[in-house]
Amino acid sequence: MTNHWIDIRNADCIMIIGSNAAENHPISFKWVTRAMERGARLIHVDPRFTRTSSKADIYAPLRSGTDIAFIGGMINYILNDMEQNPENYNMEYIKQYTNAAFVVNRGFTFKDGLFGEVSDGKYTATAKETWKYADTETPATDPSLTDPNCAFQLLKKHYSRYDLDTVCNITGTPKDVYLDVCRTFCATGQKGKAGTIMYAMGTTQHTYGTQNVRAYAILQLLLGNMGVAGGGINALRGTSNVQGSTDMCLLSHILPGYLAVPQEADADLETYLKRVCPSTITPKGLTGDKSANWWSNYKKYTVSLLKAWYGGAATRDNDFCFNYLPKCDPGVNYTHIGMFEAMGQGKIKGLWVWGQNPAAGGPNSNGEREALGNLDWLVVTDIWMNETSEFWKRPGVNPPEINTEVFVLPAACSYEKEGSISNSGRWAQWRYKAVEPPGEGMPDLEIMNLIMLKLKELYQADSSAPQAEAITSLDWNYGVHITADAVAREINGYDLTTGELAESFAKLNDDGTTSSGNWLYCNMYTEADGNKAKKRNNVDSHPNRIGLYSDWAWCWPLNRRIIYNRASVDLDGVPWDKEHPVILNYNTAAKWQGDVPDGGWPPINQAKDSEKYLPFIMKPEGVARLWGYERVDGPLPEVYEPWESPLDKNLMSGTRNDPCAFIGKYRNERGTSDQFPHVGTTYRCTEHWQTGIMTRSLPWLVELMPEMYVEMDEELADEKGIKSGDSVIVSNARGEIKAVAVVTQRFQPMKVGGKTIHHIGILNHWGYSGMTRGDSGNILTPHVGDANTTIPEYKTFLCNVRSAK
Amino acid sequence: MSKAVLYDATKCIGCRACQIACKQWNDLPAEMTTNGGTYENPPKLSAYTFTKIRFNEVDDGNGKLRFVFTKLQCMHCEHPACVAACPVGALQKTPNGPVTYDDNKCFGCRYCMVACPFGIPSFEWDKPLPWIRKCTFCADRQGGGLEPACVTTCPTGALKFGEREELLIEARERITASPGKYINHIYGENEAGGTSCLYLSPVPFEKLGLPNLSSEPVTVNVERAMGAVPPVLLGVAAAMSGVYWLVKRRDRMGCEKVNEKEEVSK
Repeated sequence: MTNHWIDIRNADCIMIIGSNAAENHPISFKWVTRAMERGARLIHVDPRFTRTSSKADIYAPLRSGTDIAFIGGMINYILNDMEQNPENYNMEYIKQYTNAAFVVNRGFTFKDGLFGEVSDGKYTATAKETWKYADTETPATDPSLTDPNCAFQLLKKHYSRYDLDTVCNITGTPKDVYLDVCRTFCATGQKGKAGTIMYAMGTTQHTYGTQNVRAYAILQLLLGNMGVAGGGINALRGTSNVQGSTDMCLLSHILPGYLAVPQEADADLETYLKRVCPSTITPKGLTGDKSANWWSNYKKYTVSLLKAWYGGAATRDNDFCFNYLPKCDPGVNYTHIGMFEAMGQGKIKGLWVWGQNPAAGGPNSNGEREALGNLDWLVVTDIWMNETSEFWKRPGVNPPEINTEVFVLPAACSYEKEGSISNSGRWAQWRYKAVEPPGEGMPDLEIMNLIMLKLKELYQADSSAPQAEAITSLDWNYGVHITADAVAREINGYDLTTGELAESFAKLNDDGTTSSGNWLYCNMYTEADGNKAKKRNNVDSHPNRIGLYSDWAWCWPLNRRIIYNRASVDLDGVPWDKEHPVILNYNTAAKWQGDVPDGGWPPINQAKDSEKYLPFIMKPEGVARLWGYERVDGPLPEVYEPWESPLDKNLMSGTRNDPCAFIGKYRNERGTSDQFPHVGTTYRCTEHWQTGIMTRSLPWLVELMPEMYVEMDEELADEKGIKSGDSVIVSNARGEIKAVAVVTQRFQPMKVGGKTIHHIGILNHWGYSGMTRGDSGNILTPHVGDANTTIPEYKTFLCNVRSAK
Repeated sequence: MSKAVLYDATKCIGCRACQIACKQWNDLPAEMTTNGGTYENPPKLSAYTFTKIRFNEVDDGNGKLRFVFTKLQCMHCEHPACVAACPVGALQKTPNGPVTYDDNKCFGCRYCMVACPFGIPSFEWDKPLPWIRKCTFCADRQGGGLEPACVTTCPTGALKFGEREELLIEARERITASPGKYINHIYGENEAGGTSCLYLSPVPFEKLGLPNLSSEPVTVNVERAMGAVPPVLLGVAAAMSGVYWLVKRRDRMGCEKVNEKEEVSK
């Protein structure tokens, strides 16, 4: 989240899209309810009318996979309205804090759904050059926003194709409802008004999920909603501490603190930094003339990380042990889907699955379960036996034919160990151990520690292998009884010259004199305040009580609760919203009060020349990007159809699918709408959790939701002779599942592209393990992923349904 | 003085944390259930389920779909029918609000189940020594200065605990502050003589599955019935005694007449 949970209560309008917050984040609804008690309006956009929609002022049905059309139409609405009524929008924000005015390369083309030439599933280097600014170092800007090649005009031209009729024909939303959404949400474009977007997997789990989020960014920037209280783009993270896990880089493309993972071609630290560290871009013609380009500090964070890992072994002479880091082979996809593709091809011999359940949670379950059978060995660390640890005896297979040796390491659950959990709002809160784990269960930290100590021992005894030094040189100094506290301090980092905890990432150096396991978390644990994740001061000390609770726990970066908050004030430092300022009083107090400012520099107009710092410090040009040239599939979100779509063609252009989507080949059959006419989508319910391993063995929860079910509309059920409560079979090109049918008015047939389409909602909490069992929804999902991240397209595919009688 | 709970259906998201909190606090086992084509489970309140959420897909009157939830549990009536019906006083209305149950007094006649207009008291059918069970209004938690488990756990504040009179005032204020949002009625203010569980709803209360009751306490009929028992008993006993005396007298009179005739003929 750019903002945080409690801040939602400050919104004037809340749009929940790609999320079912009431069901899957019930506590979040405390804050939504508070906002509504203050008069805020709630919009819910979803293929299905859910418990969230039940509270919404406006419910807008949306065909699964058509978010870009929906948001693109809103962008078009704003750009047209802006022309008639500029006073309804914060034009100063748009011109000064975004790249609206920047002049783009005049070679940029967009034709028939493509932003240039595509070759082999990728845009060519030449095409990508045309997406950049005309001058990539000191871009020219047009303050009038009329230059046909300025980002604003290119945006306008692009989204002029997203008219009301076209959009509603693609999304299936009734036009009057759609206009209601536009009017209501876009009213937050007024200075002093704030709209927030709450989103989750319904947004991200598509082959163009990243572009879905980009669309929200454009929308929120045009409305001046970034950096302000009650605004922001707020991802509802789907698991407890998944935020912590991504911060600590449990993803294949990053190192802790979102540093890039090295590639094979990064022969040394300097080459790596040259590739990843952005040069500062200084725009010409804006009032702000200085970009902090915070990622220019890349070297400090990388070197400090290497010092944390390799300690004294990391010196300037050996590039701080940079070459011990594993490097990615060119063109290989190391994500979940990429990994299972490789496993299916027999390329992976061993797998360690840690607190995860790919056999039920990964897409295309039949394929992934079979791929597991290609492993020589599999280690599963979990608190229960699950579909992954039991994949070799799943229904339909002959265990003697599977040659995978499976080891199970019993783990401890969250109440049985100590450590921090980072929530969606980036708040790291320390948790304590309440009970001992049962049986031989052990916290992950202790398991990892013992394994690493053993590995070091083995590699020390025989250091002939090329990777031996990478292990033996590790500064692994916790002893046998590792504590979360020791790791927390290491993650914060140290001033190695004094041995004291590092105060903040602003004090990390690139010369090996500091260490930090994760620069973003530097400042969490200090000499003065100790472990700030343990703080529990329940007082809202902000002068306007906007709910920051800055002394409760600690958040990154530097306990800044609302990021980009220098965009919440005008060029003179006066907050746009007098009632809910985030930072304030610079002129009277000679420093910012309120939230930790996103840069303590003076307001732009008060600052000296060449020190007029722009607010979006994480971008090399200091302003936010309406025009985003660094995504692989284009600088602007564009409508594509999902990999399996009920429509034969894309109603917006001649390019049917995202040209850069990852399409798996392993057992990944693709169906057609003739065989499988209905739109399948998977989702969760309140009562169960993820693949159900934690909840399907808890009687109280099983009592609430005892069986695997699917949901469908009354018309489709009638057609198929299905009554609510009947047993049905949902099938597609990749498999079949059996479930109870819940026939409901909350799904309605939709008119899309001249056809009537039906959704079938499929729960993904069931599997063949646990106290109560059922078929896994993911048997139906495809092995295809987002163009930028390869997140699987769990949310939209084709299927059919029939009675099981 | 008398506590109550206000349930605002416009804030309830049907998450059912209340159902689980109640089970946890009262140490109630889970029931075996199946999915009958709905989210709702268990199908009915029982000796093992003191509260549940009812899922209602309703038309709001303008052709628009509404998904509204009802929390069902003992209403802790001001004038409980179950209390009036209980021959041995096992059920009592306490001044603080909860209608309490004492299994030391109960002998299992189940008149309370027949009397309750909400169908609340549930019987432990499967036990050899069965008692009546129902929501206790967490009288034990209240005794410790806590709020009922369901109220404490509710994430949105759909449940609010407090003095009955104050909650009625707040409920009226909510209705006035948002015209058109609520049905202009507080269910439980007067129904069945008034209950401790008060409801606000965006749709007519029948659509929430709440029975349409007059403001006359159900106890009036129960009291009439129960109050009639002693006089009826006495009256019938007296009448039967009278009939017996008459019949006996006629017999006696008949015997005496025969004896007289015999004496005359000698």
